[in-house]
Amino acid sequence: MTPPPDPHTLIPGMAGATCGQPDHVLHRRKFLTGLGAAGTVSLGSWAGLFSLPAFAQQAKRTAKRCILLWLCGAPSQFETWDPKPGRISAGPFRSIPTKLPGVHFSSLMSRCATIADKLAVVRCMKTDQNEHLQGINLLNRGSAPRPPFVRPVLGSVLAQQLGHLDNPVPNFILLDPCPEGNEFKEFKAGNWAGWLGAQYGPVRVGGDYRIENVLRQADLSAEDHESRNALRRFLTRKYENDRKSAAAASQNAVFERVKGLMSCADLFDLEKLPAKDRERYGPGAFAQHTLQARHLVENGAPFVMVSNGMPWDSHVFHNEIYQMLTPELDNVIFQLITDLEQRGMLDSTLVVAMGEFGRTPWLNQARGRDHYSKAWSLMLAGCGIKRGVVVGGTDAEGAEVDGQAFNEKNLFATIFSALGIDPYALYDIGDLPSFRRVEDRAEPIREVLA
Amino acid sequence: MADTDPKSSPTPPAEPKLTKAKEIQLPSAVLALESTPDGKTLFAACLDGSVQRVTVETGEALALGRHDSYASGVALLPGGQQLVSSGYDGVLHWLDLASGKELRSVQAHQFWSWDLAASPDGRWVASVTGQYRAGSYKYDPAPGTEPSVRVFDAVTGALKHSWDFLPPVQAVAFSPDSRRVAAGNLMGEVAVWDLETGRIVSQWKTDDLTSWGIIKSHHFLGGVFALEFSPDGEHLYACGMGPMRDPMAGNGVQRWQSFDWKTGKKLDQTHEGESGQGLMEALAFHPDGKHFVMAGRLFQGTWNLALFDAATGRNLFSIDAKHRITDARFSADGQRLFLAKARQQELKNGRWNEFGLIEIHTVSGLGA
Repeated sequence: MTPPPDPHTLIPGMAGATCGQPDHVLHRRKFLTGLGAAGTVSLGSWAGLFSLPAFAQQAKRTAKRCILLWLCGAPSQFETWDPKPGRISAGPFRSIPTKLPGVHFSSLMSRCATIADKLAVVRCMKTDQNEHLQGINLLNRGSAPRPPFVRPVLGSVLAQQLGHLDNPVPNFILLDPCPEGNEFKEFKAGNWAGWLGAQYGPVRVGGDYRIENVLRQADLSAEDHESRNALRRFLTRKYENDRKSAAAASQNAVFERVKGLMSCADLFDLEKLPAKDRERYGPGAFAQHTLQARHLVENGAPFVMVSNGMPWDSHVFHNEIYQMLTPELDNVIFQLITDLEQRGMLDSTLVVAMGEFGRTPWLNQARGRDHYSKAWSLMLAGCGIKRGVVVGGTDAEGAEVDGQAFNEKNLFATIFSALGIDPYALYDIGDLPSFRRVEDRAEPIREVLA
Repeated sequence: MADTDPKSSPTPPAEPKLTKAKEIQLPSAVLALESTPDGKTLFAACLDGSVQRVTVETGEALALGRHDSYASGVALLPGGQQLVSSGYDGVLHWLDLASGKELRSVQAHQFWSWDLAASPDGRWVASVTGQYRAGSYKYDPAPGTEPSVRVFDAVTGALKHSWDFLPPVQAVAFSPDSRRVAAGNLMGEVAVWDLETGRIVSQWKTDDLTSWGIIKSHHFLGGVFALEFSPDGEHLYACGMGPMRDPMAGNGVQRWQSFDWKTGKKLDQTHEGESGQGLMEALAFHPDGKHFVMAGRLFQGTWNLALFDAATGRNLFSIDAKHRITDARFSADGQRLFLAKARQQELKNGRWNEFGLIEIHTVSGLGA
């Protein structure tokens, strides 16, 4: 039976709805208050329209962010967080001790082993979807589909909850250079933001994906550009108010977004990242984009998802692929967590490394591991997460969860809780059925919550 | 010239054929195989790290040695008294077959020994290694952190040569005259060195055995999985899988290529219409020097074991051997073919199936 709506936790799914998060409510009220004031000021001053330094300052101070290292294709738990030394399922890679007494990672995760005291590893994930498209949807949306309603992905929810209306940096950025990708390609072509609306969808960058036409023309000065934009904004806002025009409102929103992108175009240029940082993270696309993700959240992006096609789907050549992919992941996580900590951002930035499920304890004839959702692992660190925790475990061969298992709902309740977002808030989507951020009041994984 | 009497005309030669004669089950997949000259005893490098001595007549298997990771190679030294094994622990073990004791252990590499070969004259043992690490935004392999081709004195275990070759180096073979060694890598590069001078003799690249993933994965997969000199020493054969947009599907064409190793010029390859799809990882020449087999995994098609005419490149006989074949060896008399196999692993009620196999085929229709 669906629980009754909680009036304090209605989520804006449509324009005009309110948000239950105290921080966000505060920002929104400030913003709306400021909007009127700024509008008045703007009549006499074109420059600085909607400029609200106090708002921006507070937003930055209280900002929480999330970086999702999306290991699409489904990474093996055996060659990462849950090795099985001496067992047939172990594969050719050794296990090594970590900074946590008694806890071992795969030898391919040697750098993460040195910062295990900063990580939270969940070794007892158990989900129901064993196929990519369904699994990708499940682990990105946090709940099984209920057609025709489209639940927003994690990034869209966090863009809405952690993002700010005046944020020049996009609230949801997807860094993924791979244009193909089988089921991931199909997922990428789908509706990410669902009932939250397209404004909470991702901006995609990476490889050949670039944000086009965001550089100011060379013959136009910054002052001229701003003056023109302010005039356009004033006139279209007037038109929007006079005519109650949704189209004009939408156009205004697009211009604001473009303006934001123009101001932060450099953040999307890998070449502009410090050479030493680029070297530390490693040359591969996934490593470079993870560094870029760090740079983006440092500069105000609330949610960045890093992916690189679906390379973890090792039905063939499993060990031959993992000899390369896993050390890169290991170094990327090490550098990212270390950087965030050194910058004082780890407590406000949640890092999640996961795929859509795990891989079989057995090898197939193509020297590969196949899909396995019955017992798999993921890693969390940072904002709201306890440091140095390994939760749950699997049996001797890694075939079954040993003890309590957690699913996607538990995970999403954990992520929302860690970020200070009410996991059980109801979406306000008009006459549609009731949906909550996390259904069934699924418990968060309390062992990892700080 | 006398008229030919049809009744007394010689029987036309039988068509070449391989017939499965025996199957020996082992607890763990077999990754490499070696046979004594009389074909009565086999040695198997297994996925569980063990090196097994297998008596063909009885099927009895006895563990001789063990690696700390997959055992990947076995080579019987001339005289039949010593066996060298290699593993993904990077170690080479010398085993005395009479006593069953280990004579020597050498840490040849920091990463896996992908492949092992002994020179026909018994003087040298070669092992190849190398980890694939991201070297660019598009995942070109980074240069190695250790020499990837190493040659050891087979008698003393002393290191004779160390060569840098872009890793991972996945296959190695000696020339029949024991004067040269060839190695092949992930990128389809092949190099031949002179053992006397230690200098590289030739090096070339074939784009036909490696793939960069367009569909799922922006990195490289595949490469050269086996090398074999022709018995006359003139040509070098390589095998693997043809290029694919999605190498992680494992559906490239089953492919061998032959080269003039002095120039790197490609001479021939699996003929159009004579192959299916799947990774080929075993090459072996028949003692007649005129035929060879290629074997591996069947993804789609009709065979994963085929016999070829070396002169014409034609596929003479092929069968679906049902399971992945990892290595192949002819007996010295050419009458039998030994196959190393890896079946699908299965875990039921906490127990693993026996997923290793050695298969013995009788050979007919070929010369001795």
